[in-house]
Amino acid sequence: MRIWGGLLLTLAATLYAQTADRSPYHDSPKDIDVGRASFRLRCSACHGIRAEGGRGPALNRGEFNAGDTDMDIYRVIDQGVPGTEMPAFGGRNTEDNMWRIVSYLRTFEPSGAETVGGDATNGEEVFWNAGGCGACHRVGRKGGNFGPPLGRIGRSRSVAHLRESILEPNQDLPPGYYLVEVVTAEGVTIRGIGLGYDDFSAQLRDSAGRLHSYFRDDVESIKREFSSLMPGNYSETLSETQQRDLIAYMQSLRGEDTNP
Amino acid sequence: MTSIRILGALLVWALAAPAQVDKTTLLGSQQDDDSWLMYGRNYSAWRYSDLDEIDTGNVHRLVPSWIFQSDVSGKFQTTPLVRDGVMYVTGPSNHAWALDLKTGRELWHYSEPVPDDWTGCCGKPNRGFAMLGDRLFKVNAQATLVALDASTGDVIWEVEAADYRKGYSNTVAPLIVKGMVVIGIAGAEFGTRDFIDAYDAETGERVWRFWTVPGPGEPGNETWGGDSWKRGGASTWITGSYDPELDLIYWGTGNPGPDLDGAPRPGDNLYSDCMVALDAETGELKWHFQFTPHDVHDWDSVADPVLVDIEVEGRSRRALVQANRNGHFYALDRATGEFLLARAYTQVDWTDGIDPKGRPIPIPGHDPTDEGTLTCPGMGGGHNWHATSYSPQTGLYYFNSGDGCQIYHKSTQEFVEGEFYLGSAMENVTGAPREGSILAVEPSSGRTRWRFPLVSPPSSGLLSTGGGLVFAGSREGYFFALDASEGKALWRLRLGGPVQAPAITYRFDGRQFVATAAGTSLFVFALPTE
Repeated sequence: MRIWGGLLLTLAATLYAQTADRSPYHDSPKDIDVGRASFRLRCSACHGIRAEGGRGPALNRGEFNAGDTDMDIYRVIDQGVPGTEMPAFGGRNTEDNMWRIVSYLRTFEPSGAETVGGDATNGEEVFWNAGGCGACHRVGRKGGNFGPPLGRIGRSRSVAHLRESILEPNQDLPPGYYLVEVVTAEGVTIRGIGLGYDDFSAQLRDSAGRLHSYFRDDVESIKREFSSLMPGNYSETLSETQQRDLIAYMQSLRGEDTNP
Repeated sequence: MTSIRILGALLVWALAAPAQVDKTTLLGSQQDDDSWLMYGRNYSAWRYSDLDEIDTGNVHRLVPSWIFQSDVSGKFQTTPLVRDGVMYVTGPSNHAWALDLKTGRELWHYSEPVPDDWTGCCGKPNRGFAMLGDRLFKVNAQATLVALDASTGDVIWEVEAADYRKGYSNTVAPLIVKGMVVIGIAGAEFGTRDFIDAYDAETGERVWRFWTVPGPGEPGNETWGGDSWKRGGASTWITGSYDPELDLIYWGTGNPGPDLDGAPRPGDNLYSDCMVALDAETGELKWHFQFTPHDVHDWDSVADPVLVDIEVEGRSRRALVQANRNGHFYALDRATGEFLLARAYTQVDWTDGIDPKGRPIPIPGHDPTDEGTLTCPGMGGGHNWHATSYSPQTGLYYFNSGDGCQIYHKSTQEFVEGEFYLGSAMENVTGAPREGSILAVEPSSGRTRWRFPLVSPPSSGLLSTGGGLVFAGSREGYFFALDASEGKALWRLRLGGPVQAPAITYRFDGRQFVATAAGTSLFVFALPTE
């Protein structure tokens, strides 16, 4: 009896998941609260404690990159977004709870995307010339390898986070882009992006792309700094118009034609 | 001639017969250098071995002897058991193996599927077997306890401790006491009401249950406002210890539920964040000590209860020591539960100290809020659950610590059975990542003798040996040996996966071996043969 009941419930849930365009919890305040708590637990590290965005896109705008139906949002939570940092949560959440999170995200009224009002074409010019961003960052097959590749950055970052990353690059370093400084036994200082940092060794890539590896025992010192190697003065070297244009260009980088 | 043949056959049979472990064997586990018979090595949870072939002078020559790859996703957290030429290992997701101690070859493999609708809070790790007679005992993720034939891995019996659909799960290594299999349970993140159980090792029948959240009419229920006791949590997910003379079982309990939102559960919330001492025969509570009353920072108190006799203010005490997740080392009288001393071992900003009765003196402003509140230590502690060690050789207590602060956010939500009931979200502090350390502490004072820094919060448990060594592992995949007296690193090897398991050591064929798991593999080391 229990087996048949379980099968029917599973079948019903599967059919619902395949056909629903609206969460079953859209009008249940109690379940929406559970969805909010689950969002804060599971999602806020990237999407912000109030879904305002951060490392992940803002989700409080009432519109979503991956589609605007409840099923679209559910699918993203369940399966993740290939090619981005959004993982699949299906194996770690019940279907019910993913619907609750969908319903919580639906409580935000459509308010329009945060727009920066800049010109992406001009921003591309700033990126490769005045800003010098391409010296370290790659878009498609063009640009440097010292900083993170940005060919899909517009899919995964909020406008606020893009602005912060340009003007205050130390605020939120991407994983794997901390700074390592080694002073060798001969007194030579080598700085670069940390590729590995542990209790006994460190590995880094310097600005010329050279790879280095050291044991702590063999050098004078090894330290890690959570600071960016990006210039910290773009608020002075770029005009406000250039800043807006640059953000608009980065918003436009969505991976379709820009990545190998 | 015939009698010689029979005698020969009997000898062969005896050599091949599965290990027999009885109550006396377990009581003498500390003296049995050829075996590792229980989670904490002895009933006092010392994780110390007298073996001294590998010592501070030669540990740098340590080399792998054999490696076992599990071929199962999920990382090992197990404490292997060793007996009569066989290593018994539990893995994640309800897998377990018997391995030939000479070669590491698999002798048998047990597995049981995890139900598709199982959610659990924190993955599907398992922390080890217990052993009695010719049987092994382990918990499964879906909150069952299973008895296996040590010779074949066949299931002898399996019982359900709780309904996993309500959020219960299990990871703990059982403890054998007087013919009973004692286990804890996990589930506080789902608003379960948790317990410690004892089962008859022969039949699987439950002998007693101690609810870590008392029901109506029971002492302590008044510390829960309204009916919040029904969802009170207080999980028991790390193995306890046992004093045969006092006949008391000691077990640490976890956070109350929901973890960061104290509003639905006014009161001290007994017996969450406690050490409980239970009569081994009946499961009756003999005493309790609460480390963090009305916890709103998820500071479980499940870490190993280590039993050690110490001198406090000129008086010899039968003590229980624990490095608690709230940032303090504690020593209690294990006969009475009397508070003896406490001392902070990492950065602590939420209390002005511990009063003479052992109750923290809170500093206002550290309760989590919707906006977030910075507090030290962070959610994982302090010392979390990883196995600790006490060396009678150095007289020091070894444990690891997560050091640093986090921002605690509170959420409010109604309870839904089978779903997370946490009320929490955590943020790291920009530019100040949490780090870690391994500490050696004097149990009679709580003073730190040495501290070995780690670049990230710790991931593995510890082992101390008569060779003057402490073995540890790191999140970045190093397995290493420290000088037990000074904390200096003497040997290291990168194993290619995070070390989440504690090491064990044993003697086999006259040589000392050290074993630890890292990632999905298990490694055994020894000094090279001449």
